[in-house]
Amino acid sequence: MAVAIPQEAVRGRENYLREGGLLSWLITIDHKRIGVLYGLTSLGFMGLAGIEALLMRIQLAQPDNHFLSADVYNQFFTMHGTTMIFLVIMPLGLGFFGNVAMPLQIGARDVAFPRLNALSYWIFLFGALFMYSSFLFGGGPDAGWFGYANLTERFFTPGTRVDFWAIGLIILGFSSILGSLNFFVTIVNMRAPGMTFMRMPIFVWNILVASILVLVAFPPLTVGLIFLVMDRFIGTHFYSTVAGATPILWQHLFWIFGHPEVYILALPAFGIISETIPCFSRKPLFGYAAMAYATALIGFISYGVWGHHMFASGMGPIADAAFSLSTMIIAIPTGIKVYSWVATTWGGDFVKNTSFYYALAFVIQFTIGGLTGVMHAQPAMDLQQNGSYFIVAHFHYVIGGGSLFAFLSGIYYWWPKMTGKMMDERLGKLNFWLICIGFNMTFFPMHILGLGGMPRRVYTYGAGFHWAFWNMFETVGAFVMGVGILVFVIAIIQSLMSAETAVADPWDGRTLEWSIPSPPPIYNFAEIPHVHSKDAFWEMKHGRAQESRQPAAQPEHGAGGHGIHMPAPSLFPILLAAGLALVGIGAIAWLRITFVGVLIVYLAIIGMGFEYGTYGEHPSKERGDDAFPLDSRKVGMWTFIGSESLFFASLIGTYMVYKGRDLVGPTAKEILEIPLTSFSTFVLLMSSLLMVLALAAFERGNIRAGRNWLFGTAGLGCVFLGGQAYEFTKFFREGVTLQHNLFGQTFYTLVGFHGLHVLLGVIWLLTLAFASFKGMVPKKRALAVEFGGLYWHFVDIVWIVIFSLIYLMDKVTGA
Amino acid sequence: MRPMVLKARRSRLIPPLACLMLAGCAPLQGPLSTFILDSDSARDAYHLFRYTFIWDVIIMLTVLVPLVLALFVLTPKKSGGAGHEAEGHAGSTRWLEAAWTITPALILISMAVPSIRLTFQYQPKAPPAGALRVRAIGHQWWWEFQYPEFHLTVADELHIPAGRAVYFDLESVDVLHGFWAPELGGKRDTIPGHVNHLTYTPDKPGEYFGECTQFCGLSHANMRFRIFVDTPEKFAAWVKQQQASPATGQGPNPKIEAGAAVFAAAPCVACHTIEGVSKGYIGPNLSHIGSHQTLAGSILPNTPENMTKWIHNPDALKPGAQMPALGLDPVETSDLVAYLESLK
Repeated sequence: MAVAIPQEAVRGRENYLREGGLLSWLITIDHKRIGVLYGLTSLGFMGLAGIEALLMRIQLAQPDNHFLSADVYNQFFTMHGTTMIFLVIMPLGLGFFGNVAMPLQIGARDVAFPRLNALSYWIFLFGALFMYSSFLFGGGPDAGWFGYANLTERFFTPGTRVDFWAIGLIILGFSSILGSLNFFVTIVNMRAPGMTFMRMPIFVWNILVASILVLVAFPPLTVGLIFLVMDRFIGTHFYSTVAGATPILWQHLFWIFGHPEVYILALPAFGIISETIPCFSRKPLFGYAAMAYATALIGFISYGVWGHHMFASGMGPIADAAFSLSTMIIAIPTGIKVYSWVATTWGGDFVKNTSFYYALAFVIQFTIGGLTGVMHAQPAMDLQQNGSYFIVAHFHYVIGGGSLFAFLSGIYYWWPKMTGKMMDERLGKLNFWLICIGFNMTFFPMHILGLGGMPRRVYTYGAGFHWAFWNMFETVGAFVMGVGILVFVIAIIQSLMSAETAVADPWDGRTLEWSIPSPPPIYNFAEIPHVHSKDAFWEMKHGRAQESRQPAAQPEHGAGGHGIHMPAPSLFPILLAAGLALVGIGAIAWLRITFVGVLIVYLAIIGMGFEYGTYGEHPSKERGDDAFPLDSRKVGMWTFIGSESLFFASLIGTYMVYKGRDLVGPTAKEILEIPLTSFSTFVLLMSSLLMVLALAAFERGNIRAGRNWLFGTAGLGCVFLGGQAYEFTKFFREGVTLQHNLFGQTFYTLVGFHGLHVLLGVIWLLTLAFASFKGMVPKKRALAVEFGGLYWHFVDIVWIVIFSLIYLMDKVTGA
Repeated sequence: MRPMVLKARRSRLIPPLACLMLAGCAPLQGPLSTFILDSDSARDAYHLFRYTFIWDVIIMLTVLVPLVLALFVLTPKKSGGAGHEAEGHAGSTRWLEAAWTITPALILISMAVPSIRLTFQYQPKAPPAGALRVRAIGHQWWWEFQYPEFHLTVADELHIPAGRAVYFDLESVDVLHGFWAPELGGKRDTIPGHVNHLTYTPDKPGEYFGECTQFCGLSHANMRFRIFVDTPEKFAAWVKQQQASPATGQGPNPKIEAGAAVFAAAPCVACHTIEGVSKGYIGPNLSHIGSHQTLAGSILPNTPENMTKWIHNPDALKPGAQMPALGLDPVETSDLVAYLESLK
């Protein structure tokens, strides 16, 4: 009746956990292993953040307590927040669950760019270690997880603490953007044949939207952090009031990132719950289509609500009202999700296991957090809650009681698939009750304390404020929760040591990952499944339409996994990430180290680029079907360019905001020269033409001509850079330095970053040209030239925007 | 028998429960409670809260009740093992989905209308007619209050009259701070380079606590303040007293005179103003410090002992405080304290 489900254990060599020694984990590019690495790292940092939290709770247990000094307390709350958001919840949701479950759910052998995936992980690890190393050099960062300017300026926070924080976040941003680009392309391009968007598991939908959010949200943060680093290292005034700038700029840049970030943390959790609740209720998800649309809508709206974090900053009633309305609107798709989960349980035949318990607790706790969120959406009320413990309660219910509980549900759910072992249910129930009771004991009273006026981020409070009782109560709760986490760790260890092995499909699952052995072989699917409906595996097992589950034509190298080509491990990701960390270390310690880092990064990129002789061989190409008309690398390049545009949009936006606020001249009107710049603009446009010719030549196989055109393109690029260097020195002589006025700093930063992109483009093209001498760019690799070309054209288009907005517009309006 | 047992049990439970209730509600009874409504702004914010809270409870019930019913009351026909889905479900139900899309939208509209009206009401384009204007200036880590109308500058303790609107111009000399006296209304940040505004009308006389609510560095927690709402007559008297030169008590007192000499000779004068003695602007104005209830950003009651401790080592009470330990000997310190406490 049912198709054969592989229940046999995976042979030793094919089990992804067993293959190779410990060192092989350093060069692994298997998404499952990378997922495991993400998971272990995040849980480790969660331990650190938890210890920080417990120490803070001891300090707050009594009024006027002296357990921690103000200094240490401030470091702890800053790093607790930064850690939980950037090093725990985000990497768990995207890096861990995204890697462990998503490729299996879409029936893929790996992600679109396995080496890039490894690179994301290593950048994440080194960035995190870099940030935490701050504690070894004069204390941890201490300006709060959203590090409001101008407290973060060097004048108010000297020392290296904020340097570690800002540079660490820039490094971590690279990791997030690369990882999400990878997931985006994977989901768009690598789904099993027949899996249309409306047949994707809902978890994959959530990862897709979260990945898009990372791509659009991180560039503004990176720009904000670059400004901060410039302020601290070279004395610009992006956030200090000295030159007429405003610290509010930081708040806008940060929260344009920060609110989508909330959904980056929440969407993977929504996805997990949308898998576990149907599975353990033995019902399909209620309202799949509405859930998918709600996910997309939440992602879209979340980009336009950032101002609700800033009601206290005095944006004025019109902006307040607009952000208030957009924030309230987001409650509607969120409500659709909550009610759909509840409706999924209606009439269910439940499997009341630990995963399901965590899922139910998620629904209730997340709803509490969501409902207080509706309060914060109303400015007049928010002004009584913002900055108080009421907000602390709110976001812990959303991210702790929400996302973290969903992740625990997901760990219990996918554990057998990941490890091939079952987790003990008695220990599971025990850690659930301890964590759930502890969590609510800790965070529910914070609502009362917040309404009773307790501000967040205070290391001490007066005895006469009547806050002592609940604070003591919360401290007890926090320790109960801590014990619960310990039991969870014990449960993990116990499971790993136990002899009991998991079958392929322990939960009678609905999605494709349950159709393969536990743990999966390194190639995941011996045969790529063909999908005919949503809940694909359920249909295969129990579907009524018999013919629909017959696998379609087999790829010739399918059976048994023999002859499946998987990409080889690579040393370059870890090397490149180490180089990037060196860049950061050099910035703080000794600038020469930075150049070593840059060199390592460059060599590692080249190494990665030319690593494989069979360039262009790609998992998606192996499937022998033409369901994927687009090359993954092309989609990836376009996605990268999309994300880069937002980087420039943030720089241009800053230039526009600060235009006309200068305290001293000269500014754009007096100093910019149209004739010279028109010439270099022309040169740059011509270079695009040569680039087209170069690509055409490579595609024809005329390597020699192609190389010459490449040299020509790079040469024109150099002419453009020369023009810029001339312009910069001229302005410098006239007294416009980076520190001189707002025009100076915004102009040099924007045009300078564009110039840096041109420079990178020149290096890229020259690298290709020189590689072609060695025959490394044959005709079949013309695609490599095309990517260089795409990047080059993009940089040119950005220049046209800059030239129009900054050079021409002023002259036209000024005339 | 049985009801009696229950009754006995319940009566034994009452004292601890009552204690829990009392302790539990204590934060809401002050002195920083958003549930104590002594101004128009605090009242309106609370009414918004109450309205939203009621809907929140109802919505929470629409989630909880079906969940509890589904889990514990509804008994599904056992599907019997793998491969059989539970019965009595549909993949989706149009009317239900429409209901939980449209109903929340309507509820949100009913919240948005009063909420946005208040947003505009409390951010008027110009100060309300007859409002008392106060410049509130944030410093690391204390508050300066200026009354342009009376040419008065005080620190940490603000006096305003009941029944008259007060219109704050919120500024900062260093980093961001947040100005919040919960029982009188919402907060607003003070941002260097900006002037923010906040307005409310206190109802009745009383002493109100306030705090900084935007993290502003090491001693953020030690940046508190007080607002004294006085009757109009008392307020007028207070203004008069503040405008006068500080009175140092009846008759010459050698200890106070010695203290005055210490003040003039020590670095105090560089930072502090005492009317007719010094003109320092970095630290709080001390002209009438003896009449203050609190010290050092309202973190300590104003007693000679606390003043002595503060002068001896400010950093111990307020980490990072800009005031240095002056290294005065005990006699000098005690003279100085006597002098300062005499400035009424």
